[in-house]
Amino acid sequence: MELANQFILLSGALLLVAILAGVLSSRIGAPLLLVFLGLGMAFGEEGPGGIVFHDFNTAYAIGSLALAIILFDGGLRTSFSSLRIAWAPASLLATVGVALTAAMTGTFAWLVLDLSPLAALLVGSIVASTDAAAVFLLLHQRGMDLKRRVGTTLEVESGCNDPMAIFLTITLVELLLHGDGEIGWTVARTLGEQMGYGAVIGLAGGWLLAQVVNRLELAPGLYPVFVVAGALVIFGGTQELGGSGFLAVYLAGIIAGNRRLRANQLVRRFHDGIAWVSQIAMFMMLGLLVTPSSLAPDLVPALLIAGGLMFVARPLAVFLCLWPFRFKPEERLFIAWVGLRGAVPIFLAIIPVLGGIDHGIDLFNVAYIVVLTSLLLQGWTVPWLARRLDIELPPRPEPTGRFDMELMRGFDRELVGYRIAETSPMANHPIEDLRVPDRVRILAVLRDNAVVQRQLMKSLKPDDYLLALAPPEQVLLLDRQLLPSRRRSGRRSEPVLGDFAFPGASPVGALADVYDLPVTRREREMSLSDFLQSRLGKDCSVGDKLSLGAIELVVRSMEDGAVQEVGIWLEPAVPHLLPRGLARRVAGAGRFLRRNKTVRKLADDPPL
Amino acid sequence: MEIADMLSPEGVIPALRVTSKKQALQELARRAAEVVRQPERAIFEVLVERERLGTTGVGNGIAIPHGKLADLDRLHALFARLETPVDFDAIDEQPVDLVCVLLAPEQAGADHLKALARVSRLLRDRSVCEKLRGSDSRDAIYALLTEPANSRAA
Repeated sequence: MELANQFILLSGALLLVAILAGVLSSRIGAPLLLVFLGLGMAFGEEGPGGIVFHDFNTAYAIGSLALAIILFDGGLRTSFSSLRIAWAPASLLATVGVALTAAMTGTFAWLVLDLSPLAALLVGSIVASTDAAAVFLLLHQRGMDLKRRVGTTLEVESGCNDPMAIFLTITLVELLLHGDGEIGWTVARTLGEQMGYGAVIGLAGGWLLAQVVNRLELAPGLYPVFVVAGALVIFGGTQELGGSGFLAVYLAGIIAGNRRLRANQLVRRFHDGIAWVSQIAMFMMLGLLVTPSSLAPDLVPALLIAGGLMFVARPLAVFLCLWPFRFKPEERLFIAWVGLRGAVPIFLAIIPVLGGIDHGIDLFNVAYIVVLTSLLLQGWTVPWLARRLDIELPPRPEPTGRFDMELMRGFDRELVGYRIAETSPMANHPIEDLRVPDRVRILAVLRDNAVVQRQLMKSLKPDDYLLALAPPEQVLLLDRQLLPSRRRSGRRSEPVLGDFAFPGASPVGALADVYDLPVTRREREMSLSDFLQSRLGKDCSVGDKLSLGAIELVVRSMEDGAVQEVGIWLEPAVPHLLPRGLARRVAGAGRFLRRNKTVRKLADDPPL
Repeated sequence: MEIADMLSPEGVIPALRVTSKKQALQELARRAAEVVRQPERAIFEVLVERERLGTTGVGNGIAIPHGKLADLDRLHALFARLETPVDFDAIDEQPVDLVCVLLAPEQAGADHLKALARVSRLLRDRSVCEKLRGSDSRDAIYALLTEPANSRAA
């Protein structure tokens, strides 16, 4: 009885502290996952918390559960349209990329650790996969909007690459435990089972789940619970059959998320919450699990491996895998650097410990340090790098301050409500200035606990509520006017797409006259939209750029596969990783040396 | 290309009273005609022609109408603070209250683009815009616009 109460008190308190710490950390810009991990350690046996937790079995179970939910949630957010532009590079990265990373990192491990080649390869495989939890969190919750193809490639890669790493790890553990035998056969069969069962059950399960949910009459609050339970069944069932539950649950999420689910908003909101709890629980638990002082002996070799992974193995693997695709060098570099390691490696490192492999605990420690280093170094620098490399897109207004509600089935407008804030663009402006798009109907404005009469309403005031009926595609326009503008600390100007904007239908010729663009006579006759797609390819996406003489054209928005709006950069920014002046100074020094040489040479040459 | 090379204190209009985009362009064309000694009609048409391609309202209440004139001697800029913001079909749908007109000779080429980029970059800086909105004398605005970039960064 007492124990139960203590347990409840403890888990509640841990969760509360974690959430509050999260709020604090976003103020100082620390990676959230690191905060949760750190909190776990602080609560652990060597911190002030003093909780002793060494149960690798429990850790494995909780970790699987949390990961399944996070992956499912990630799948729900992945739309088919973004998959279409990213599936090819992402799937190559998720398979060949992982194997390459594992092999190269394994080599580093073999060089710095006293291990057999096979065990070294195991180390490589454990840390080979990019972590979905870390990537999703970093890309979504930091409020970063990346170029769509880059962001989606990373998301899909991280969602799909765990099966490969898991498969490599399990295979190697089997090999280490049972010696050779029929290696080739076992390997092929395991891979086939992991991927095959995972894909089939995931796709079918996701479809079935959507069907059942849409046909079932339940209390509204039960729909999201039903969906989560379904996801867990898909995960557990696939694992039982020997397939990859992680792949299955991610695919099921994608399928279910792209069908119109009943109680869609409810499901999404619930999932948002539960995915958060999973992140917190998983990383705190992993923090609790480790004994920080025992990491010390493995610190130096582990740091070397981490360095090799981050600076050599991952970049090389990414460059090789993305070879056939149209990415810019700085985009490749960015994808390489966002190869965040997270819970999966730590969680995979539990497998050798449970399997009873020699030095299993050392492998665990090494994996742990690699993950910590990656989260610290990469997690902290990714937003900075995105800005430096010009990968970031202008922010969309944050949807806090808006709620929406689907009405009946078959009605294509939603009920949206806004709470006007002090910083909303429309706050204290006359109501006539509000641009009301087609098919949007303002229903009411609520103020001080009453509905404001239409004829008495002069302007929108902070803390008003505005209710409207709007088709989902028009909501963004309302968002821009009614949501508080996002303030970013330490930034004088926000990233934008171009100095000026033009509709995609504008004629190239007229633009060429104003800005002296070098285009052919035939291109002058084209629309901007066709012109850009003829130069950049049909599948270009928002943020893609085309250099044209002194200026640069950039895709500002896309609709139905056509370029909707085009921006123009009059003075294109050069992505600069190094300080701006450096290249110029180096070039200057070069010129200086060359000049001196010529001078000397002239002096040597006899006058004619 | 510094802004002081294109903009003279006479080119600054601290409180322009207009009620629409069209009227703003008309009024600015009239003032520009005095500064650059070119027919008002031609200037207005160049600016309207450019607006037809796509708005020069770049967001955050800023607009940078621009265009090329055949017989201009050099680059010319005009800056106006509108007394009341007007709808400018800006990309962010927000009304505009800071307008910088840039006129370039037909052959200006790269200089024209550089000057435009310079103006665009300056007005993308929110703190500069706030200061511009807060000052109502011609000299204060002129000083803000022509202040060298490095002293502003400090």
